[in-house]
Amino acid sequence: MTKKDLIYYLKEIRHFYGDTKVLEIDDLKIEKGSITGLIGPNGSGKTTLLRVLAFAEKPKFGQIFYKGRPEFPFSSTIRSKVTLLTQKPYLLKRTVFENISYGLKIRKDTDKLEKRVIEALNNVGLDFKDFALRKWHELSGGEAQRVAMAARLILKPEVLLLDEPTASVDTESAKLIRKASLKARDVWGTTLVIASHDLQWLYSISDKQFSLFKGNIFATGIENIISGPFENLDDKVVKKLDDGQIITLDVTQKKECIAVIIRKKNITIELFESTDKIFHNQLSGHIVSMLLEEKRGDIMVTVFVHDLTFVLRVTPDQISNLDLYPGKKVVLKFSSSDVEWIK
Amino acid sequence: MDFIVAGFIKAIELLISGDYSTWTAVLATLKVSTISMLLSVGAGLPCGFLIGYFDFKGKKHLRTILDTLLALPTVFIGLAVYAFISRQGPLGELGLLFTLTGIAIGQTILAFPIVTAITASIVENIDQDLKLTLVSLGAGKRNIIATCLWEVRYGILTAAVTAYGRVLTEVGISMMVGGNIKYHTRTITTAIALETNKGMFADGIALGVVLITIAFIVNLSLSFLRKQ
Repeated sequence: MTKKDLIYYLKEIRHFYGDTKVLEIDDLKIEKGSITGLIGPNGSGKTTLLRVLAFAEKPKFGQIFYKGRPEFPFSSTIRSKVTLLTQKPYLLKRTVFENISYGLKIRKDTDKLEKRVIEALNNVGLDFKDFALRKWHELSGGEAQRVAMAARLILKPEVLLLDEPTASVDTESAKLIRKASLKARDVWGTTLVIASHDLQWLYSISDKQFSLFKGNIFATGIENIISGPFENLDDKVVKKLDDGQIITLDVTQKKECIAVIIRKKNITIELFESTDKIFHNQLSGHIVSMLLEEKRGDIMVTVFVHDLTFVLRVTPDQISNLDLYPGKKVVLKFSSSDVEWIK
Repeated sequence: MDFIVAGFIKAIELLISGDYSTWTAVLATLKVSTISMLLSVGAGLPCGFLIGYFDFKGKKHLRTILDTLLALPTVFIGLAVYAFISRQGPLGELGLLFTLTGIAIGQTILAFPIVTAITASIVENIDQDLKLTLVSLGAGKRNIIATCLWEVRYGILTAAVTAYGRVLTEVGISMMVGGNIKYHTRTITTAIALETNKGMFADGIALGVVLITIAFIVNLSLSFLRKQ
């Protein structure tokens, strides 16, 4: 990846709300024209990261390079190029037409306005005649979300940031938002960064996924993060589950860490426990979901081990050989040394 | 009970017959309340916006003072304005005592904190997502301020109507600064006070009906504007 291919480069970003650290990103690169997915639990820093990428919030430390140049909030060059759709989109107390044309009007770019509004509404599956004159309070949640999306799409932005775009919409609206997002990338070369809890939807649209946990970003997508409390046992630490199972972890890196990552690549799935000493941990659970990663051709399997959720990536051959399906009992195996502690 | 019924009947008679003293009081009321509203909204709206929108040192203290001024008694404002514009006062040479302009100044002082405090509260409570939305749509600082004001337009109308109600119904300032001079500075409220003292309940009720009608028309207009 050359510098020319990069639209964002975030370098040693640290951001705080009061004394609480909310972002800690040493190095994040986002390519032009890519669709990046952000995954993570509530409070992991997804929205804050999107606000930073939208230049709506300035991080306390670090630099953001946009197309290779350092940029700052409210810079006039950025304002017209990057747009963010928030989780609960705010519609102005005006008609749908006025909401969608607002961005163009403040840019004094009103040539063929009606035609462009018609096109923007079509892109999100709404009919101009039915919706243009409706007021903001005459829309359902899904319609409001799509109108807000149309208000961004009409700007043909270089970067479109979407925060939980499918959180409050039905399946049909989610499909239309996906279609509109892909069209923006394919037709105008728009770069998209999308935060979502809807993994199925996110994996179907994004080229690459980053996961966030307590402001830390992991470029390998969704990973297994286990929080404390932990107990010391001889030269190791353990996490005891209420069903009697125990997770054993090496302590070499622990120090003042609060959670541990077990990378999905280090977890093996089998049907029975073994006597193999390589795996210090053999946890029984059952499959709750299986998700096709269209771009890789692999399958993301989610397994519940008592009250913990583990994800791991398996090949279609493994699925077939082990006859895996949601609800099936399985054993997850990983070594106590294949862990990374995080602060 | 009869005098109350008689008052309503007389109210209709006075208004239909175009009674000069009634209509001069109505016109004087409309004139001073309109001037004081224009002045208080003109000054209070930007002040309220600045206080509500920006964070600065001493903001909390300023809000406390402003909230205290909401309870300012009209007789105290009347007294203060009287002291300033009476012959011995610093503005005595302007000859404002016992004029409609004098009353309008007093009523502006009464309405200003109301418009300012309500506007500040409304602006403070603007949805944070609005600002973020405007930034993300490419709005500059001027666009953000203008759009935020437009978004809270109904709240600001409410502030203006609340202040108008206070101004329209006050007696203290009009009586002390205006002097209740017939055909000149007599307003509806001072006329009601005078007629009641004289035992002319019917005339008092008639003027009261006019006052309520004005208030009703103002609120009806606000409701119409909201629908638009």
